[in-house]
Amino acid sequence: MGGFFSKIFSGLFGKKKVRVLILGLDNAGKTTILYQLQIGEIVSTTPTVGFNMETVSVENITFQIWDLGGQESIRPYWRCYYQGVDAIVYVVDSSDKDRIGISGDEFKQLLKEEELKKAVVLVFANKQDVEKCLTPSEISDSLGLNDIKDREWSIMKASALKGEGIQDGFKWLAKTLKDKK
Amino acid sequence: MFSSSTQKGELFEIQTKLQDPKTEKKKEGVKKVIELMTLGKDVSALFTDVMNCMHTTDIEIKKLVYIYLMKYAKYKPDLAILVVNTFVQDTQDENPLIRALAIRTMGSIRVENVIDHLCQPLGLCLKDHDPYVRKTAALCVAKLYDTNPELAESRGFIQNLIDLVSDSNPMVVSNAITALMEINQSKKEPVFQIDKKTAVNLLNALRQAPEWGAAFILDSLSKYVPKNSKQATTISERILPRLNHNNSAIVLSSVRLILHLSGFIENKANAVNLITKVVPPLVTLMGNKNEIRYLALRNINLIIQKWPSIFSHEIQIFFCRYNDPIYIKLEKLEILVLLASEKNINQLLHEFQEYSMEVDEQFVRKSIRAISRCAIKLEKSAEICINVLIDLVKKKINFVQEVVVVIKDIFRKYPSRYEKIIGLLSQNLPTLDEPEAKASMIWIIGEYSEQIDNAHELLASFLASFKEENTDVQLQILSSLVKLFLRKPHESEELLQQVLKLSTESENNPDLRDRAFIYWRILSSDADLSSKIILTEKPKITEKSFHFEPSVLDELLRNISFLSSVYHKVPTSFLNSYQITQNHEEDEFEDENEDENEDENEKEEKNPKNKKNIIKSENNQEKSNNNNNNNNNNSNNNNEDMIVLNENENENQNENDDMSLFSLNDIISNTVKKTQTQNTFNSQLQDSIFETPVIINNEPRKLLLNSAQGKGMEILGLFKRKNDDIILDLEIKNQTNQKF
Repeated sequence: MGGFFSKIFSGLFGKKKVRVLILGLDNAGKTTILYQLQIGEIVSTTPTVGFNMETVSVENITFQIWDLGGQESIRPYWRCYYQGVDAIVYVVDSSDKDRIGISGDEFKQLLKEEELKKAVVLVFANKQDVEKCLTPSEISDSLGLNDIKDREWSIMKASALKGEGIQDGFKWLAKTLKDKK
Repeated sequence: MFSSSTQKGELFEIQTKLQDPKTEKKKEGVKKVIELMTLGKDVSALFTDVMNCMHTTDIEIKKLVYIYLMKYAKYKPDLAILVVNTFVQDTQDENPLIRALAIRTMGSIRVENVIDHLCQPLGLCLKDHDPYVRKTAALCVAKLYDTNPELAESRGFIQNLIDLVSDSNPMVVSNAITALMEINQSKKEPVFQIDKKTAVNLLNALRQAPEWGAAFILDSLSKYVPKNSKQATTISERILPRLNHNNSAIVLSSVRLILHLSGFIENKANAVNLITKVVPPLVTLMGNKNEIRYLALRNINLIIQKWPSIFSHEIQIFFCRYNDPIYIKLEKLEILVLLASEKNINQLLHEFQEYSMEVDEQFVRKSIRAISRCAIKLEKSAEICINVLIDLVKKKINFVQEVVVVIKDIFRKYPSRYEKIIGLLSQNLPTLDEPEAKASMIWIIGEYSEQIDNAHELLASFLASFKEENTDVQLQILSSLVKLFLRKPHESEELLQQVLKLSTESENNPDLRDRAFIYWRILSSDADLSSKIILTEKPKITEKSFHFEPSVLDELLRNISFLSSVYHKVPTSFLNSYQITQNHEEDEFEDENEDENEDENEKEEKNPKNKKNIIKSENNQEKSNNNNNNNNNNSNNNNEDMIVLNENENENQNENDDMSLFSLNDIISNTVKKTQTQNTFNSQLQDSIFETPVIINNEPRKLLLNSAQGKGMEILGLFKRKNDDIILDLEIKNQTNQKF
């Protein structure tokens, strides 16, 4: 009985909670995206040594978002956060043509992780406001997105500074995760 | 089922709770973690999970996570870097409590990669508008300085601290000055000197500062050197009200400060007047709990040694009560002896006599000793003291043996004055079984063998059990028989031969053997000379032998209310990291010396192969031999000092050695005189090491072996006194390019 009622209540009032990681190289704009999403403002940030954690609701889904620092020294510790992750938001700096290769390698590593096998992947091609930046399809090639067969994924144009594309991205994520369960 | 779960299962259960998104569950989990941590279980496996809970608005969880981090961050230095971001955010929180908590915890995590990120938030917190945050940040600078001094200096935090000393909030002032003093202590050149303006500031803050803050301020003020007498008076007037504080730490800190200031007041009468003011508060402390009373007594002991007169009217409070714990009684006895004077001796003796009837062995022995010390201290009253001792012997109290030991001291102070009691003592001969008492008795017999008709019989009885005796007793039998032989050769020739044979052939103890050989050689060379050497007049002991050396006493007085005043040891002797902060009162000479020591330390750091050894010689006698040689080689003026020094050392370690050493010293010292003229005796003794002058304290080491002679090895050495011990301070350097 109790289980039945709680199901109804959670259907009516409760929100589904999901765990999301924002990853990417340093200076890709992860922390800015997080706070753009949460408070809708640009926060001046310093390089994240460690992590940020915020809870945001989009489309009746509560996202518990972990934004991890992207410096090389911190990347090895990303794995500490893999457990129970529903979705990965991978942020790429579209203006950083030099390091797109490294970013691609890191991304491919992620996909190989056993604990992340079931996670949905959303890629933000961030900093689209910068001139002569990489296009989403170029980035898609570097990351090898088209080779992904075993999970849902999407790539979105975004500009955290202007607040473009971020809401859309998370709406897609919300919808995908709802359909999935 | 749950109660029997293994630890792994338990940890897993906690982990699930920690990962639960609900705050309540999380809190439960974190609490459980801390609970296990305090029980001493290893919960480091949960590091990431606990760390992830840090990002919360719940202050309770935050605090608990911080506690966890302080303990475990050092075990997971790599992962610890992940906490930095949250700390930095927390130091910008709206709530000042969280800001302070964050900066405090961050400073306590002594992990390099966390500290690298500490500077920016620390800089902000030092300038925070909330005093609570500022005061916490101030202490954090000292922590940072401890782990990474360069970083703290290059970021200008020292200057920030100096600014905080003039803060409007007394709490901030006290923490800032504490941090600065702490930093000063680890530096050669103090980063900050208290000037007049700061002193005024501190005095103002003192009034409103909370208890411990006030104690810290007082501690720091005692580092301030007043410009003139007037200033010292003004400051001391501001401090005086603190003497009435409830907190014993504040009282003792104020006492120290006032004693310090009194040294700068020119008018001696005023200075003494000022010092007298510390008496009532110290007496009040005696009404406290036992632990605090003990503390007070230890400190009073030091103060009395420097200013004997100020407590003379308070003698009553130092009388032992039947329900005092033993450690308090012993301290009180010590003080009573210090306070003994011709005026109060009768009263005191009455007390001591009572004490000697008590049951506690330690206390009774110490009381008996107290009587003899009074006899040594007060020449006019010696007679009464001795009568009391004789009384005790006649009453057959339990510890007659102790009386024998102390009477020996009295004989040494007043030779040939109280021989009449020897007879009484020798009646108790058969009951003596403690080595110290035996040795004392034998010494007395040897020394006064002329007056004792049956001396040879008495000594013969001891010789029978020679092999079973303790080394001290053996040495004493040997020396006494030699004395006896010189006085009454016919009666004891056989005995002497026997003892020399025993000591040189069948005993393994090198001290005994060597001493026997020395006697043998002296005796076989020239009879007149040997009686001159062996039966020479001995320097008297004085009550001063029980006191600290003035420089040590001053150092201890500077540390009143600190641990050092309880141990009665200078801080350098028990704190490895403690460097002597340069003190202005000391003369230039000492300063130079300190520099030199520091230079040496530096050398040491540069070349770890250079060893500086402080050797605490295990063999007192050997040292003293050296001492005495040196003495004689230089001048005989030092002689008195040296003996006092030896005695002091023995007094505090083991009274047994005292006597044996004493007579040995005579012999050796005289032997060396002989060597100088005849040049026949034991050329080894003339080894260069013995030619170093004996220096009481604070002198540079002398070159004993230069590198040319030592084929690259250079030895510097010096005898020093450290508290109660004489040490041989040797520095051995490798001057070659090769490593050992």
